[in-house]
Amino acid sequence: MRDKYLRDTGLIIKTSIKNNIHLKIPLIIYIIVTILSVTGITAIFIIVSILPAMKVGAPDISYIELFSGIIIFTACALGVGVYLNAFAFNSIIREKAKGNIESLLATPLKAESIWIARSIAIFIPGLVVGELFAVLVMIAINYIYFIPEIGFILNPWAAVSSFLIVPLVFLALSFLAHLVGLTSRAASANLIVQIFLPVYANIMINLSNQHVLEITSWTFAAANFGLAAAIFIISIFLMGRLKKERIILSG
Amino acid sequence: MQSVINIKNVTKALDGREILKDISFSVEKSDIFGYLGPNGAGKTTTIRILLGLFQADSGNVEVLGKNINLSETRRKIGFVLDADGLYDNMTAEDNLLFYTMIYSVPEAKERIKALLKTVNLDDRAGDMVKTFSRGMRQRLALARSMVHDPEVLILDEPTAGVDPSGQIEIRQIMIDISHKENKTIFLSSHNLDEVQRICNRIALIDRGKIKLYGELKILRSGMGKGIVEINTGQPITESLEIEIKGTPALGLQEKNAETLIFSPGEGTGISDIISFLGNRGVKIEGAVKKEASLEEIYSEILKKAEPS
Repeated sequence: MRDKYLRDTGLIIKTSIKNNIHLKIPLIIYIIVTILSVTGITAIFIIVSILPAMKVGAPDISYIELFSGIIIFTACALGVGVYLNAFAFNSIIREKAKGNIESLLATPLKAESIWIARSIAIFIPGLVVGELFAVLVMIAINYIYFIPEIGFILNPWAAVSSFLIVPLVFLALSFLAHLVGLTSRAASANLIVQIFLPVYANIMINLSNQHVLEITSWTFAAANFGLAAAIFIISIFLMGRLKKERIILSG
Repeated sequence: MQSVINIKNVTKALDGREILKDISFSVEKSDIFGYLGPNGAGKTTTIRILLGLFQADSGNVEVLGKNINLSETRRKIGFVLDADGLYDNMTAEDNLLFYTMIYSVPEAKERIKALLKTVNLDDRAGDMVKTFSRGMRQRLALARSMVHDPEVLILDEPTAGVDPSGQIEIRQIMIDISHKENKTIFLSSHNLDEVQRICNRIALIDRGKIKLYGELKILRSGMGKGIVEINTGQPITESLEIEIKGTPALGLQEKNAETLIFSPGEGTGISDIISFLGNRGVKIEGAVKKEASLEEIYSEILKKAEPS
């Protein structure tokens, strides 16, 4: 039974990813927006914070770690978040309107499988691209600025937060957005993901920048983990709404 | 005969509005069952109940003698819904492959190949569905509904929005599925001509109530009862017309150059009309007891249902 559930979920994930990556316009928009945003923010933090710090005779390592951590965090958050923004519309609104969801519900698949699979499908490509961007940015700034002077810089807490916990936040958001989108007006789900990314990224960068919740600290990781857990809990709380009739009528 | 679909006293309300009011009917094995009704009559709600998408508020729904909510039952049903639910950015073959995996169909590749041939899309197997016309999409949806070799097909207006040649093609596919593969088809349609051509039994729903239900042939002859068309093969004289009109039991309705149409009163049969005319030296070339067309039945029933 459990194997069947996992197999069905895996099947829908595979098909949804396959269908989404053929959507050329959202894919192009996603890649352009992500490249521009990551490059822009990386440039700003390098010019404003890292370069002046590196000009000092003995650079403050913790300061350098903080700002390189913010850059990696931003690259990850944008990579995953922008993908969610670009494809949530197709994943929920279009597929509901085109009857893909209703057709799946009429098969022996469970509504929960469909929800979980679609939430993961919209997250995986963004995760891959986001982490790839973050790794590339991390290697680039290390080779250009740090290795010749002070060696390879990567704070372990910044790495944990950026590469593990930030994706977890967006996975939880994807679950919530899909649940809301499936069981009520699909536009509400779109609104949630559109608002979340800029608000979340801004708050986290500012808190870290102002040393309230530094990305290099375990508290930053814990706060983000807490946020992911809270969103998951809300989703679980709302799971009771996942009824076939509600999903169809909300279309 | 074994009932494949059995709906008994089903009611369903949505948003406080009663959509289905105590409906009952059954579909027998190998039927092509036409489900007719105007927009908003309750056809789609019935289909959603049959597919386990909606729960009936009361009554009993069984497909193949089992509860529709069982996964085992749903495996025996194929469907084409109002919105086809195909993935535009996947090929025809991949769309079918996805459903073969959902239903764990063995030898899926062979099955897909055969189905694409059945719906005349074998030459477009590798093309993206977004390049397909409405007719091709509906044919592909029909193929998808059969990937798991279901016993029952539930089709919601499969020819809607399809051009006439596409409609003919889809109709032929439905007939082939029913006759060659011995499947039971539940066809919801607005197209009365289509239903009249391919269905053997029908139900007519209006404002949530079944207004007419039964074997189409019997309904047509039953509803057309009384209409007799006589072809005289010679012009009808004025004196004959006066004589016929003078016999109200014959119920002359219409007189054309060489044709007389009667709606005889009770106790008067086609033989009485023929002997009446024969006694007056009228040569009779043909006499037909007219069957009502489905369109006439439909209009008649809906007219009766209109609030006065």
